[in-house]
Amino acid sequence: MILHYLFRRLFLLAFVFIALTVFAFSLGYLFPGDVLGNFTGLRNISPANEMILTKQLGLEQDYLQQYLLFLQRLLHGQWALSFSSQQNVLTEMLLVMPATLELAGYALFLSLLIGIPLGIVAAVRKDKWLDKLISTLALVGFSMPIFWWALLLIMVFSLSLGWLPTSGRLGVLYEISPNTGFMLLDILLSDVSYRQQALFDAIRHMLLPAVVLATYPTTVMIRFTRDSMLDVLDQNYIKTARAKGLTRLQVLYTHGLRNALLPVTRQVGLQFSTLITLAMITEVIFSWPGIGRWLIDSIYQRNFPAIQGGVLLVSSLVILVNMLTEIMHTLFNPLARKF
Amino acid sequence: MKKLRLYYEEHNKGPLKLLWKHFAPQHFAFFGLVLLLILLALAVLTPFLTPHNPYLQNSQLLLLPPSWQDSGLVSYPLGTDDLGRDLMSRLMLGASYTFGLAILAVVGSLLVGLILGALSGMSKGVKSSIFNHLLDLALTIPSLLLAIVIVAVLGPGLLNTIWAIMLALLPQFVHGVRNAIAQQLKQDYVTAYRLDGANRRQLLFSVILPNTWEQLVLMGTMALSTAVLDIAALGFLGIGAQSPTAEWGAMIADSLDSIYLAPWTVALPGLLIFITVLAVNLVGDGLRVAMKKRREN
Repeated sequence: MILHYLFRRLFLLAFVFIALTVFAFSLGYLFPGDVLGNFTGLRNISPANEMILTKQLGLEQDYLQQYLLFLQRLLHGQWALSFSSQQNVLTEMLLVMPATLELAGYALFLSLLIGIPLGIVAAVRKDKWLDKLISTLALVGFSMPIFWWALLLIMVFSLSLGWLPTSGRLGVLYEISPNTGFMLLDILLSDVSYRQQALFDAIRHMLLPAVVLATYPTTVMIRFTRDSMLDVLDQNYIKTARAKGLTRLQVLYTHGLRNALLPVTRQVGLQFSTLITLAMITEVIFSWPGIGRWLIDSIYQRNFPAIQGGVLLVSSLVILVNMLTEIMHTLFNPLARKF
Repeated sequence: MKKLRLYYEEHNKGPLKLLWKHFAPQHFAFFGLVLLLILLALAVLTPFLTPHNPYLQNSQLLLLPPSWQDSGLVSYPLGTDDLGRDLMSRLMLGASYTFGLAILAVVGSLLVGLILGALSGMSKGVKSSIFNHLLDLALTIPSLLLAIVIVAVLGPGLLNTIWAIMLALLPQFVHGVRNAIAQQLKQDYVTAYRLDGANRRQLLFSVILPNTWEQLVLMGTMALSTAVLDIAALGFLGIGAQSPTAEWGAMIADSLDSIYLAPWTVALPGLLIFITVLAVNLVGDGLRVAMKKRREN
C-alpha cells in the first residue's frame, strides 16, 4: 500500500519536473534577445558558429525535438553559460547555493525553536495577557516589510551600537578554504590556529541576517501552532482525558502536543518556499553571497541564461522539499493516509 | 429603545449584518478597518490633497528635517528628501501606488481566479486533475521568483510588476475558489437544489457563489497584504517601480544613501508600508474570527 502511494507521488514529481522544464525551455523563447544566445549563453556568435550551434541545438527542427535536446543538455550538466562570466550556470549556482541554504537553514531552525513553544504557550493561555502579548507580537512581525526591518536592525545594531557587521559572511582577516561552502562547517573542518575566532566572527556575521530572515517564518509558526493547538484542545478526547483525572500538563503532553504538532511538520515544508523568497531580499541587503543575490544581480545584468537556470534550480529545490515533507507527513500521520 | 414584542418571534438577521455584529466589537479589527478606509480615500483623492508637487525638486531645501525638529519648516511637515522633494506629498502619492495598485492587482487576480476556479471546481476527470497538478506546481514556486521571471520577460517597471503580482497571486485564488466550491458541493442544500432540477450553471450562480463570497473576501485580504509587500519589495530591489516614482519601496531604496544624514527618509515610507500591511492583517484576522463566531452561533 505504502509503495503504491510512494509510486504515485514519484509519478507526480516526474510530471511536475517535466512541466517545470517545459516552462524553463519556453523562457528561452520568451526572453528578449535572440534564441540562440539565450540557450547557449554565448555572445557575439560568428555566422559560421551560428550554423553549427543551430544544428547542435536542433533549432531548425520542431519544438519537441528542441525540448528533448534541451532536456538532454540539462541532464548532462551542460547548462547554458552565464552572459556575464561565460561560465556554466550550474557550476556557478552550486558555488553560491550553500550560502543560501546555510542562512535559510539557521533561520528555519530559529523559527521552529522560538515559534512552536510560543505558539503552544499562547494557545494554553488563550485570552490571557500572555497570549495577547504573543499574538500581538506575532501580528507585528507578520506585517513587517522585511527590507525595512533589516534596515532598522542595521541602523540600531551596526550603525549606532556598532555591535554587529552589516555585510558578508566572514571578516576579511580570516582565510578559510571553501570545501563544503557551508561557512560554519568549513571553519570547523579547517585546520588553522584562529579557528575559534573565525567561528565567532562567522556567527556574528550570521546573526543579523538569520534573525531578519527568521522573523516572518517565526510569526507564521506562532500563529499556525496556536491555531492548531486550539483546534486540538477543543476536541472531545481532551475533555475525556481531563475527566479521567489527568493533570493539565499530562493532557497537554500526551494528547495535545502530538496531535497539534502533526500539521506543523507539514508547515515546515511550506515555509521553505517563503524562506527562499525572503532570503533573496535579505541577501541583497546584507551582501550575502547566495543564490538570491546572484539571481537579482542577473536581472540587473539582463543575464537571461542565468535567470533561466536559477528559476529551474530554485523551483526544483522548493518542489523537492515540499514533496519530501508531504511524504513524511503522510507517513507520520495516520489520518492523512488515504491509501 | 427595544421593540415591543407581543408574542414570541424569531428574528433572523441577514448574514452580512450578523458578520458585522461579530466584527464591530473587535476593537483592533475595527481600528484596522478605519485605517484601511483612510488609506483607500488617500489612494483615490491624493492628487487633490498633496500640499506640494511630489516631483518638484527644490534645491534650496535639501534634506529638510521634519517640522517637529528645530530646523524644520511647518510648510514641509515631514521634511524633504535628498532632492528637495516634499516627503509628505510623496508619501501620500505612494498610497495610490503601493496600496491602490495592490488593491487593483488583487481584485483583478481574484476575478480571473474566480472564473478559473469555478471552471475547475465544477468539472471532474482527467482534465481537472491535470489542471490541479499544474496549479500545485505554480503554488510551490515562490511568488517573488515568479515575479522576477515575469519582470525579466517584460522588462522592469511598475505596470509590469502589477502583471507579475497578479499572475503570482492567481494560483492561490484558483486553489481557494476550487476548495470553497468543493466544500459547498458536499452540502445538503446543494443536493436539494440539484434534486429540484437545477443545472450546473444555476447551481453555481444562485447557490454556491452567494455562499462563498466571505471566503473570497478573506482570501482577498490575505492576498492584499502579500501584494503590498511584494510591490514594495520589488520597488526596493529596483525591479519594480523606477526611481522618480513615489512608490514606498522605491522611495526607501532611493534614500538609502542618505540613511545617516536623514534617517526619516528611510523610516517613514517603511512605517507606512508596515501600517498598511498591519491594517490589512487586522481586518483579515477580525473577519476570520467574526466568520467563525457566526458559524458557531
